[in-house]
Amino acid sequence: MSNQKKRNFQIEAFKHRVVVDPKYAEKTWSILEHAIHEIYNHNASGLSFEELYRNAYNMVLHKFGEKLYSGLVATMTAHLKEISKSIEAAQGDLFLEELNRKWNDHNKALQMIRDILMYMDRTYIPNTHKTPVHELGLNLWRDNVIHSSKIQSRLLSMLLELVHRERTGEVIDRGLMRNIIKMLMDLGSSVYQEDFEKPFLEVSAEFYMGESQKFIECCDCGDYLKKAELRLNEEIERVTHYLDVKSEVKITNVVEKEMIANHMMRLVHMENSGLVNMLLDDKYEDLGRMYNLFRRVPNGLSTIRDVMTSHLREIGKQLVTDAEKLRDPVEFVQRLLDEKDKYDSIISQAFSNDKTFQNALNSSFEYFINLNNRSPEFISLYVDDKLRKGLKGVSEEDVEIILDKVMMLFRYLQEKDVFEKYYKQHLAKRLLSGKTVSDDAERSLIVKLKTECGYQFTSKLEGMFTDMKTSQDTMQGFYASHPELTDGPTLVVQVLTTGSWPTQPSITCNLPAEMSALCEKFRSYYLGTHTGRRLSWQTNMGTADIKATFGKGQKHELNVSTYQMCVLMLFNNADRLSYKEVEQATGIPASDLKRCLQSMACVKGKNVLRKEPMSKDIGEDDAFFVNDKFTSKFYKVKIGTVVAQKESEPEKQETRQRVEEDRKPQIEAAIVRIMKSRRVLDHNNIIAEVTKQLQSRFLANPTEIKKRIESLIERDFLERDNNDRKLYRYLA
Amino acid sequence: MKRKDTVKLISADEMEFVIDKDAAMVSQTIRNMLTSPGGFAETELGEVTFPEISAVILEKICQYFYWALQYSR
Repeated sequence: MSNQKKRNFQIEAFKHRVVVDPKYAEKTWSILEHAIHEIYNHNASGLSFEELYRNAYNMVLHKFGEKLYSGLVATMTAHLKEISKSIEAAQGDLFLEELNRKWNDHNKALQMIRDILMYMDRTYIPNTHKTPVHELGLNLWRDNVIHSSKIQSRLLSMLLELVHRERTGEVIDRGLMRNIIKMLMDLGSSVYQEDFEKPFLEVSAEFYMGESQKFIECCDCGDYLKKAELRLNEEIERVTHYLDVKSEVKITNVVEKEMIANHMMRLVHMENSGLVNMLLDDKYEDLGRMYNLFRRVPNGLSTIRDVMTSHLREIGKQLVTDAEKLRDPVEFVQRLLDEKDKYDSIISQAFSNDKTFQNALNSSFEYFINLNNRSPEFISLYVDDKLRKGLKGVSEEDVEIILDKVMMLFRYLQEKDVFEKYYKQHLAKRLLSGKTVSDDAERSLIVKLKTECGYQFTSKLEGMFTDMKTSQDTMQGFYASHPELTDGPTLVVQVLTTGSWPTQPSITCNLPAEMSALCEKFRSYYLGTHTGRRLSWQTNMGTADIKATFGKGQKHELNVSTYQMCVLMLFNNADRLSYKEVEQATGIPASDLKRCLQSMACVKGKNVLRKEPMSKDIGEDDAFFVNDKFTSKFYKVKIGTVVAQKESEPEKQETRQRVEEDRKPQIEAAIVRIMKSRRVLDHNNIIAEVTKQLQSRFLANPTEIKKRIESLIERDFLERDNNDRKLYRYLA
Repeated sequence: MKRKDTVKLISADEMEFVIDKDAAMVSQTIRNMLTSPGGFAETELGEVTFPEISAVILEKICQYFYWALQYSR
């Protein structure tokens, strides 16, 4: 702004002008220095804050900030040197307390000084990029006290000693520790780490190495784990009480490494108390503890998992190949279920349902169940046993639970079609002899199989049920239309659709006169309603109830198979019959007839016939009589019902062959399906795709697949590519 | 005596201004003075002397304190 006119008045300078006097700076500074001394001597109450503040303000304002700052540094350093001498002088335990006290004093003084010199802090220091007062104070403390040669080492050793004492069980002054550690932290994280944390971690590592060595020599696995857990918790507690939070991770790592990681293999394989023993004895608590501790170290869980898997496979293999157990399939499957239950509960209780452990369990089970190629048969027999008698009186939920467990085992099977075959056979026998305990249970199992394997699997099984129902209706219709037959023998016919039921060679026998007349009537009735169908009697699967009166007048109702009924009816007309006569009259094939007669003549308690000679075997010339002396406690006597049994060797071979035969068209269908969509595919890929598609039914054999491919090529479904021998092409 | 906490500000020419502590705390300097850990004279007596500030100015300052309390959030 330019003055046009000369002003009349002049703006006077501030009246209150401080004298720019070199001595002024000295004077002011001495006042401040004196004040600082007083502050350090706890004599501040006599001072006026305002005056000091004003003095500092003026010094900075008149560009004496430099002097103020350097003076401050010098004064503080001098004081701190004094303080450190006094700390050094302290003896023994008082050392730490003295240090703590002096630190508190210093902090307070620093605060006050900072308040007075606030103006300098705000203006001079940012301009000259010097350290602010507070920080300056901390740095000076650090340099003069903590890092002074005598104090530094003593401080560290005292702290470590206190920690060591606490580890060995003594009680120490935690408050003091906390303050000292906090002091180190306030001085800067690098101070804390360098001066305390690093040596602390090293000493701790040594300590735990020694301790773990000691323990592992004398304790067993469970005890060692308990101790390790104890120490771990102790360290965590220590951190929360008086260490920096960031140290928690580091110290826990140290403990984990020393106590757990280094001894992991040894712990797991410890004799008489290692992982395997814990699994065998169901020690849930110990297992849970092991799981929690090992989870903290890398590879801990995988070690447990591996050992568990190999142990499980061992046990499973033993179970499955043990000849003793194989004699009773029901027992066998029950043991499998028990093992599964046991490990399920171990995983859920001790391993907190860890998915990876579940997977390991599943894969082990899959492995050893498929080691025994009779597993599908046995599982089917187990289900059969349960559905016949095991589920009597069991509540609905329990039934569901048992069936679910069986389904679990079913899932592990690789050869599900073998199971299907056996299940069909057993189901047929159950349905025809009317022996199933609960229709609902049967149906629910079929539903489960359907959800597992698809409609195709269960369509035939459902067909069997439908047949039974239809037959009932047919019978009702038959008797309704032939009311004159109600007086004679009652006929119950099950009409079976050939496709659904397991194929049996149909052998007829000569039925007694009363029966054959009835059967003819039924045949004509049925063909009347369903033209174009063919009926053939399956006499080997039927049963009969006959009333018999014996020599002393005892009446019994006998439940026998159809064959046995034919034989017994013969005795209505003759007293004595030889084997040959029986064979001729009934037309029953020899092996079946022999079995029939054996069950009726040679079995104690069921010998309605008497044989001469009284040998176990049936010879060609044996003679049979009605056993007049037959007695039984019950009115109704069951003889020789057709029970599902473990197959004998030749039967087993036969079934297996049939299964193989059945697989061939399935493989072919899969190949054609794949080729139709892909058009061109090479050999390895075909094999992979086919195996994947058929996985839910059975494990396909690559050589078998190759054979099928060859056969399809012969039949012009596929062709080989001209240039690349491995490539196949689909021919429409 | 007022029940609320008050401080006394004394100017160069011996004028005393009694204001609430909250108002006085608006100034960082006064706040530090009053809350300093050390036992300065100010904290004990609850009064601050300003030998270089005249009464008129000090009055304006006190008015500013109250305005600041009311309007600046």
